[in-house]
Amino acid sequence: MNQETRHANDIFKDFRTQSVSEFFRKNAAMLGYTGKIRSLTTLVHEGVTNALDACEDARILPEIKVEITELGTEHYRVSVEDNASGIPLSFIPEVFGRMLAGSKAHRNIQSRGQQGIGISGAVMYSQVTTGKPSTVITSTGDSHIIKCDVQIDVERNIGRIIHKKKRENGENWRGTKLIFDVKEVLYNKSRYGPYNYLRMTSISNPHAHITFIEPDGTRIVFERSIASVPKSPRETKPHPKGITPHDLLLMARYTDKWTLSSFLFNDFVRISKARLKETEKKSGISMKKRPDKLTWKEAEALVNAFKKIKFMAPPVDGLIPIGEENIKKGLESTIQPNFSYAVTRSALTYRGGIPFIVEVGIAYGGNHSTNNGTDIIRYANGAPLIFDQGGCAITEAVNSVDWKRYGVREGDKTPLTVFVNVVSTHIPYTSAGKQAVAKEEEIFSEVRNGIMDGGRILKSFLRGKRRAYEKKKKRDTLRKYVPETAVALSRLLQEKKSSTDTIEKKLLAIITKKYGESNE
Amino acid sequence: MKKSYLQLLPKNMVNRMNDIVKKLEQFGESVYSQIHKKRSPYMKIPQRGLGNVTYDEKSGMLVLGDKFSKRYYMNVSHTRKFMQTLLVASYCRQLVEEEKHAGIRELYYALKHTVAGSRENTFEDQAESNAIAEDIEVTLDLLREQLNLTADRRGYLYGDVLIKDGEDEFNASRLGRGGWAVPGTVEDIQFPEVSAEYVLVVETAAMADRLIEEKFAQNNGALIVACQGQAPRGVRRLIHRLHFEKKLPVIVFTDGDPYGWYIYSTIKQGSMNLAYLSKRLSVPDSVFVGMTMRDIDQYGLHSVTEKLKSTDKSRIKELRSYEWFKHRKWQKELNLCLKKGVRIEQQALANRSLEFVAKEYLPEKIENKVFLP
Repeated sequence: MNQETRHANDIFKDFRTQSVSEFFRKNAAMLGYTGKIRSLTTLVHEGVTNALDACEDARILPEIKVEITELGTEHYRVSVEDNASGIPLSFIPEVFGRMLAGSKAHRNIQSRGQQGIGISGAVMYSQVTTGKPSTVITSTGDSHIIKCDVQIDVERNIGRIIHKKKRENGENWRGTKLIFDVKEVLYNKSRYGPYNYLRMTSISNPHAHITFIEPDGTRIVFERSIASVPKSPRETKPHPKGITPHDLLLMARYTDKWTLSSFLFNDFVRISKARLKETEKKSGISMKKRPDKLTWKEAEALVNAFKKIKFMAPPVDGLIPIGEENIKKGLESTIQPNFSYAVTRSALTYRGGIPFIVEVGIAYGGNHSTNNGTDIIRYANGAPLIFDQGGCAITEAVNSVDWKRYGVREGDKTPLTVFVNVVSTHIPYTSAGKQAVAKEEEIFSEVRNGIMDGGRILKSFLRGKRRAYEKKKKRDTLRKYVPETAVALSRLLQEKKSSTDTIEKKLLAIITKKYGESNE
Repeated sequence: MKKSYLQLLPKNMVNRMNDIVKKLEQFGESVYSQIHKKRSPYMKIPQRGLGNVTYDEKSGMLVLGDKFSKRYYMNVSHTRKFMQTLLVASYCRQLVEEEKHAGIRELYYALKHTVAGSRENTFEDQAESNAIAEDIEVTLDLLREQLNLTADRRGYLYGDVLIKDGEDEFNASRLGRGGWAVPGTVEDIQFPEVSAEYVLVVETAAMADRLIEEKFAQNNGALIVACQGQAPRGVRRLIHRLHFEKKLPVIVFTDGDPYGWYIYSTIKQGSMNLAYLSKRLSVPDSVFVGMTMRDIDQYGLHSVTEKLKSTDKSRIKELRSYEWFKHRKWQKELNLCLKKGVRIEQQALANRSLEFVAKEYLPEKIENKVFLP
């Protein structure tokens, strides 16, 4: 065969074309698109997060409907529908198309979607695995419903609308429905699958009504348990102690400031002029440099310098916890436990300046999840953490508690659910996958303290429950033998003294006197 | 007219049906009166466990102490037994009044049924109803036989003795090789003529059969009683009567292991479980002929011993601690057994020859009174 050598121009012609999808492929793990089950869960996560955020922005109580249908082997269609404000036609390419242009990528906000590329990543994943565009159906509640297909123009890194259709909005429908076709994924009901993801989402979002239709047609409804929209988190500028080189680079790329000093002064909190000077001295990097020219090495040097400098602690008012009542409601409506407890702890800081809040919930009994033993459900800023459970500081903190001290017996059979939410503008993840919280001493011990507080209350509940259970068991045992005893005794006395009925009644009265009525 | 079984009972026992019924009824009334007074009803039952059994050195018997336990209906761990006790008591009353006899297994099946509204039976196995029957016996100070309950029977007798059982009269050495099967109740058996000179209680039927075939009974004036393991009540009562009424010495022949020796002690001093009946069942003067550890050396039986299992060893240590095994000779025997680490069966004697046991071993030892006390 004739092996022709290719000219550099020929090769580099495709370079930009490949870059975006290449980026996607390379960073698939970081973006959550790895593994057949996890990829599907991530897709659902992006859709649901998008829907919850949209509702929050519009101050609307979310009605979310997720449907997964099986199209073939490892080939599914995922649709996510919300009742939010809808998207004006002109914004559709922006919202669904451009990779890394998502508003969150460089916003220092306590956010649900940590992956940065959000819903456009879902469009991209669908496109990469099936070659097909995604469908967007949306209406702002006016006279029209727009249905269009969206795909990412990888060459120009923008969203492009194809097959746009408009129809009458007879039913006054408002909201957005996204439809993605994906391959190389698998649906199952394990704790890593979409079902558990939605279940956990429902617990941390008790204001949302979530309907889920599984591939086999099963319809699962997670009811709303509170009827008010939670406060939206405010965007706060990042604190220098909480920044990583990666984030710093990303921010520098998108900033509108022209010098490093202006960028650091304006886009961060607690970086004063004096601290800028100190930073320049400690890092050896000129503050006159253009931020978008910052290299990885320089970013690293800056972050290292931040570590050595004392900054004022950041303001904590940007943190919005789910709230004790809401967590309790969420646990109660989803798990229906015999006992529930929740606490939102006070804000603290870790790494010398990053604020965080820990929330802990404990539920005993109810629809305890399918796996054995204590079910640990982890959240970061209210978003479920499904994967990497073993390497997470939350798991470690829960397991470090001596549950026996709180009257929890037979660890493996106990229907205990432990809810932990870590709230922070900067969650210290162990890896780019953002599924496990790193073991920061302050966070670890705060989780532990929260659990132990709850444990003490659980203990008194269990003690009472055990006592009531034992009392009932005793009463049932005593009542069980009454008829036989009465018959035997009246026969022994040949009913001279009393009839079987009378003996029975008298015996029951003695039992009731001591152990109460049978159906109390 | 059919003779009332009760009329045949010894005089020192309650011998009128009405008295037995009255005792049962009083028992029921005490329970009823507590219920009537809205109190948690209980029954007072003498303890039958080791804690309430002592060895009375003077009489040489195991006797029941005076400890009681109260069985409360309102104590969930007593409730089931409380019910069972009343079930058995009322059934016994019915038996006595109808002049019927029931075996203890029949009692079990007659009363076994599902407790309404549960998956539980009134009695799950016969051990449960047996224990309750014994409770009632000791509580009312009545013999099981007086309650018209008959024990499972086992064991047989062979030898020159004239037996009168109701209308039947026969010589127990003329019933063929099978001998006479000892009934569960032997109170009404009479012995018009006894030619045998002593009773030889044999643990295994195989050994008893061997002795019968070898004409041991005829040649030695023995009355062979096969107890077939732990001697049942009928056999024990029979041995007791032959000893005390007919003045026959009792010699016991068992395997040389802790189970055999315990069978002997039950015949001699009584059992812990039936300590309240020792006076009616045990024969403190009985002696033990074999098998012993000394026999192994004496008769060269080393090659036919068997190794002790760990359960055997712990059982031996238990026996060693019992008051009634404290005799110097028995302590020596038990220690020797542990030291040798072996046990020896009666039938191991066949190693010498089939007739060895009948022609040499037993005659020699009995003649020279080589016994353990």
